[in-house]
Amino acid sequence: MRDRGVLKWSLVGPTLLLLVAFNVFPLLWNVVLSFTSAELVGEGSRFAGGANYGRVFADPRFAGALRRTALFVLLAVSIELVIGFSLALALRRDFKGKTAVLTTLLVPMMLSPAVMGLVWSLVLNGNYGILNQLLGLAGLGQPQWLTDRDLKFFSIVLVDVWMWTPFMMLIALAGLSSIPASIHEAAEIDRASRWTVFTRITLPLCAPLLGLAVLLRATDALKQFDLVMAVSGPNDPSTQTLSTLLYQVVFRDGKVGLGSAYACTVLVVVVALATVFTRYVDRLRAREAVR
Amino acid sequence: MKLLRTAVILVGFLSAALPLLWMGLSSIKHRDATISQHPKVIPALLASNTDASPLFVPTTEAYRGLGQIHAGAQHSFWHHLGNSAIIGVLSTIASVLLGTCCAYGFSRFVVPGAKDWLFFILSTRFMPPLAVVVPVLLMYRQLDLQGTHAGLVLLYTVFNLSLSVWLMKGFLDEIPRAYEEAALVDGWSRSQAFLRVVLPEARTGMAVTAVFCLISAWNEYGFAMTLNSSGAVTVPPYFAGLQGNIEGMPWPQIAAGALLFVLPIVVFTVAVRRHLLRGMTFGTIKQ
Repeated sequence: MRDRGVLKWSLVGPTLLLLVAFNVFPLLWNVVLSFTSAELVGEGSRFAGGANYGRVFADPRFAGALRRTALFVLLAVSIELVIGFSLALALRRDFKGKTAVLTTLLVPMMLSPAVMGLVWSLVLNGNYGILNQLLGLAGLGQPQWLTDRDLKFFSIVLVDVWMWTPFMMLIALAGLSSIPASIHEAAEIDRASRWTVFTRITLPLCAPLLGLAVLLRATDALKQFDLVMAVSGPNDPSTQTLSTLLYQVVFRDGKVGLGSAYACTVLVVVVALATVFTRYVDRLRAREAVR
Repeated sequence: MKLLRTAVILVGFLSAALPLLWMGLSSIKHRDATISQHPKVIPALLASNTDASPLFVPTTEAYRGLGQIHAGAQHSFWHHLGNSAIIGVLSTIASVLLGTCCAYGFSRFVVPGAKDWLFFILSTRFMPPLAVVVPVLLMYRQLDLQGTHAGLVLLYTVFNLSLSVWLMKGFLDEIPRAYEEAALVDGWSRSQAFLRVVLPEARTGMAVTAVFCLISAWNEYGFAMTLNSSGAVTVPPYFAGLQGNIEGMPWPQIAAGALLFVLPIVVFTVAVRRHLLRGMTFGTIKQ
């Protein structure tokens, strides 16, 4: 029996140790740093009490970034959900070339946001971007996607929607295909209207999986960094999210202590969301086990 | 209804494909044609790059120019692609090996607190890189790992463990225990049974897991740009660094590089098409 104990911990142990060393330990260190005046360059670091936290909550940049990140999560995730689900509904039936179409639709979510963000900044360029040239040919206006202060933020949402709608579609398709055909047939016999079938059968039966997709996307969108950096850079106040604000504070201003206080504040939100997610997965799995 | 369905699919398909097509077209243009005021959409051998026609002269100049060193960078695209490949491949191998062992432990043995450990492993995936990067940076400074291949390999290995453990646990759970038990009855040891019976059965799962680990390491930007701005720079931060270039953006070279950079990922996406759902949801949805 003791041999089994050694074997099992030698299988599981290295992974757990690495995760503690690179996740738990930095987190705790972050908390310690957030009470100091540490800077990126130079050794001098003193205990600063709660001063950093006072500055975080007094900083208008933080309030702005928090609001913008929340808006970003809300907008991007809901648009992706609606378009993704519509695409999945449209793709439910089989047709010629479906595999090829489906695969092409799925490609954007696998690509590097930093690199595709740069490609998109070529597409969206106000002077020589293809999008505005097409809009011009159609006789429409010339929005300055990348320089207009009011528009920039929405351009980043647009690119995020391009990248992540496929993800929603993929999960929605799984939800749709899990609905037994017999239920639809029964509804047909009962002469239920299309709308009734959609709201009473399709939507409720897809909801658990769509919930999972929304949670996964929301935690991801909350971290949004790559696209903001590629499309607009870290310092623009009109597009600054929590991650890019953190970058600015630590790597441009060199304020490690203050940055850690920001990070700890953000982490409270992340941990809350991650907890909701893991509970959700747990419940979903428990239900599947019952089935 | 049928018309609406076709329209939705068509618009979706074009929106997904056109930006990628544009990247491809831009990579075979001269720089003038990429910043022309008029849309240049059709490659034609006899054309002018400057007039208002939609024709442009195709060229392989951008691909040949990938060896150039642009303002704002110290090395050429090929150098950074090499860094991406080394870091991606090594970290993938390490993640898959560690993850497979860990998943096997959780799959076949009674580990105290197994559920809590597994959810702890899953939750590490939600950590925003920017929130842990400062302590990691301070740690790497002490260990001289900043700006090295080894530093990022280590970090990406750990970063991908959550994915690797959860995916492999799903795949290993599907392999019947009877296979190993038969081997144990035949007098094989546990580790022999693991190496010679379980691993060969888990081949597909390991390959799929490897693809997802490789893609996430390949695309990673947050850690790469903050920890490795001085050495072992991978492709995403290299491209990002070209922004604000005083000589103007070298668009054809950027498009050519981006195309070569995403091409392997497109190939892998097609290869693991059937497992995409599983990979993207950490194995929580199986199909």
